[in-house]
Amino acid sequence: MDWNNPYIHALTLIVAITVAFLTIMLLVAATVLAERRVLAFIQGRVGPNRVGFGGVLQPFADFIKTMMKEDLVPDQSTRFVFLLAPMIAVVTAIMTLIVYPFGPTVTLPFLGTFQLVIARFDVALLYVLGVTSVGVYGIALAGWSSNNKYSLMGGLRSSAQMISYELALGLSLIGVILISGTLDIYRIVEQQSGWYGLQWNIFYQPLGFILYLIAAIAETNRVPFDLPEAETELVAGFHTEYSSIKFLLFFNAEYINMITVSMLATTLFLGGWNGPGVAQLPLLGVFYFFAKILFFLFLYIWLRGTLPRFRFDQLMSFGWKFLLPAAILNIVLTATIVFFTSG
Amino acid sequence: MSLTDGGQVLTPNSKLETFTKMSTILFIVFAGLAIGSAIAMVSQRNPLYSAISLIGVFIALASIYVTLAAPFIAAVQVIVYAGAIMVLVIFVIMLLNVEQDEPRRKRLKFLVPAAIAMAAILIAETAFILYSVQTTSAQTSRTLSDVGLTHSIGEGLFTRYLLPFEITSILLLMAIVGAMSLARRSGMLSPSVRVVPGAQVLAMDIVNPRAVGDQRPVETKTTDEAAALLGVDRLRSPDE
Repeated sequence: MDWNNPYIHALTLIVAITVAFLTIMLLVAATVLAERRVLAFIQGRVGPNRVGFGGVLQPFADFIKTMMKEDLVPDQSTRFVFLLAPMIAVVTAIMTLIVYPFGPTVTLPFLGTFQLVIARFDVALLYVLGVTSVGVYGIALAGWSSNNKYSLMGGLRSSAQMISYELALGLSLIGVILISGTLDIYRIVEQQSGWYGLQWNIFYQPLGFILYLIAAIAETNRVPFDLPEAETELVAGFHTEYSSIKFLLFFNAEYINMITVSMLATTLFLGGWNGPGVAQLPLLGVFYFFAKILFFLFLYIWLRGTLPRFRFDQLMSFGWKFLLPAAILNIVLTATIVFFTSG
Repeated sequence: MSLTDGGQVLTPNSKLETFTKMSTILFIVFAGLAIGSAIAMVSQRNPLYSAISLIGVFIALASIYVTLAAPFIAAVQVIVYAGAIMVLVIFVIMLLNVEQDEPRRKRLKFLVPAAIAMAAILIAETAFILYSVQTTSAQTSRTLSDVGLTHSIGEGLFTRYLLPFEITSILLLMAIVGAMSLARRSGMLSPSVRVVPGAQVLAMDIVNPRAVGDQRPVETKTTDEAAALLGVDRLRSPDE
């Protein structure tokens, strides 16, 4: 096949995007189910186990049920922004998906050789940070346009929280960039291959990894940083007034964000698709990649079942007075070491 | 899934032509978006709509930078302008909760000639640029430059433009420190005081100016009692 033909190129890109989108949606459904079952296990309950074999169809039943509900728009709300907010949330969540390599270069029969990544470009990592920073608007505008004080409080809280933790998130990644010397995520993964996993950046950036993990949990508004939707104080936070499909979009956006943040952690710190036997059988890389993501998703659920919620002032002072200085310290340390070792 | 054959950058001629055609279409789309959003920003009555339109302008501009093969500048445009600055603007608008149907104020008539003069200058500049581009020989290089790439920008910032770069950072640092000190002074409370809304517990050194540094709490039952202790006429709550 002539890969240089622009039309074939466009067609393959569309196919690739569709495959990635469907994969992520199935992964969202699996995460929702896993969250409910694992939380139930932690709390000594049974959890949803009736729909389908052992409850595997529960997320789809939930999906249909939520879709069928009435789509309410508050009377005093700002209609256009009210409609725009969930779109921003879910679109920015999905947009980061295109830069993550799902696996190494594979050779498939009849189709030729592929790199399992949708787009490779010079500033992939900055692209991720940029899109994430735009994602704040979804929540902030949702809180504002609902014309509800709980929504507004939730929106304000989440924007403040996301701005604060975005800094620490971005700075915690700089150590990895300093070591690898590139912003291209595919190259960063390739550099971590070999040495039986000892080349993974987590061994060179332990502090950066821990800081990234904490900041990422806060950035996705998950327990113990789920203050924007603290139900005891704010009903449901920024999405109090949202129902039906619009609520579903926010719900999806949160889980897609969890997955993409896990993908970033996997690619930058845990070697992406690297693992034993990948050199002989490249398709095995896809399995390793998703196995590592599932580990992070399990960690999220585990934390939710274990930790109580932060207080808002604790959250802010933790972000600004501990996480940010620690990230800067990590940069200084890494830069010094890189300077003296690279000669 | 992608087909970058081992990071190949050079493109065959047919592909390049399709590429230029595509980038022209993209330029028209994004330029139209940018101009439309800019007009919307100026004409909206609601400040939040203006802010959202401005975000649209920034994102459309970033897309144009991408088509000009300057991905780093595009990413920074989105992170700094669309992501950081506009979040603060929207934050402020949300916090102030500006009245939506504000009555149309009287127009500032004396600004009309100034606006016309400014527009004339801008149009003249654009016309000049268009004219000079037309007259210079069409010696556009067909190779990709590395002007907008991360490596070249980093090299430039830390070698040739090191001094301006450092001066700018010091300027920004000064702005941060200035904002901090201004915000601190307006508080009038020493940093270790705990303010509990409604409980009316004040530190001794606020009540008594001579007891500096004395952090013992002084409790008052009512607002009037606190006012009498402070020697103020009467404390007013913001609602009154």
